[in-house]
Amino acid sequence: MEVLTDFVTDDYLREFEVKYNDEIANSNGKPNDETVFQYAWCLTRSRLLSDVKKGVMFLEQLLASCKTDQAHKRDYLYYLAVGYTRMKDFTVARKYIKSLLQLEPGNRQAQELEKAIKSEMETEALKGAAMAGGGLLAAGALVALGMALLKKK
Amino acid sequence: MSDDILTTLKILIIGQSGVGKSSLLLRFTDDIFDPDNQAATIGVDFKVKTIDIDGNLVKLAVWDTAGQERFRTLTPSYYRGAQGAILVYDVSSRASFERLDPWLQELNTYATKSNIVKMLVGNKIDKDRTVTREEGLQFARRHSMLFIEASAKSKEGVMCAFEELVQKIIQTPGLWESDHRTGFSLQEHSETEAGASWCNC
Repeated sequence: MEVLTDFVTDDYLREFEVKYNDEIANSNGKPNDETVFQYAWCLTRSRLLSDVKKGVMFLEQLLASCKTDQAHKRDYLYYLAVGYTRMKDFTVARKYIKSLLQLEPGNRQAQELEKAIKSEMETEALKGAAMAGGGLLAAGALVALGMALLKKK
Repeated sequence: MSDDILTTLKILIIGQSGVGKSSLLLRFTDDIFDPDNQAATIGVDFKVKTIDIDGNLVKLAVWDTAGQERFRTLTPSYYRGAQGAILVYDVSSRASFERLDPWLQELNTYATKSNIVKMLVGNKIDKDRTVTREEGLQFARRHSMLFIEASAKSKEGVMCAFEELVQKIIQTPGLWESDHRTGFSLQEHSETEAGASWCNC
């Protein structure tokens, strides 16, 4: 799914970073929510894991302070799910996409993201199983060798 | 007909919030119209569909952008590399037609391919219109755009819009590259009717 794999260009990221820093400098350290959201969205599209983590942190702050505005809440939840999937933290990603689907059960965009997260999770699990499988084979060989040696005695 | 994909094209859909961008795309990709679930798009949505143009398979990667104001500063970052753009307005909303200019300017500013093919789509012709077909046509002509009126609800014009856009992109030299290293002539698989009118709207 492209939303999980596309990357923002450096100049865009820088543009929103500058805007964010300017607002912090010029407004007693309290930037506009929209500016934070735009910067956070850019960060979740970065190639750098550290940027994605930072973006997710901003989004969680926005979500925590967003009590009434449902429209904004869905945007935060969606990009939190995207960010955590990019970080391969699927448990948290699923938690956020489920919250979004509770708000809007029929939302196709959210349904598709949920499916994509699931398939990403399965791919990672298979990779993990393949590695664990390799380990098991090696362990099995050792046990067999041990048994063979015991029998010899 | 070849099973190989001739090329992959990046297509954008832009325009005011609520004009039916996502509905047009859903009608095109899944042949569905879903009046109950029409939530505003979050940021940018993406869908892929392969279509057959004169016996060649062309894969379309369609980026459906949110029309809402809060996403406006960020959606242009998706314009990069697009070969085609569909600018949508709602024929039953005068306001959506009158606000076409800024969208076009934004497209001209941020699209990286100078010969990107642009199409104007007047959606919702199933409703009572406040914008005439002539007005839409004139706007499109003035800005060298293709023009089609459509309805995601009734299905009218939707396939045509995408097919015509892709046809024009394929006919534009230097705008796209073959996915095959060797490349082959577009006419290779087409029958004698190639170039004839295949889209009657």
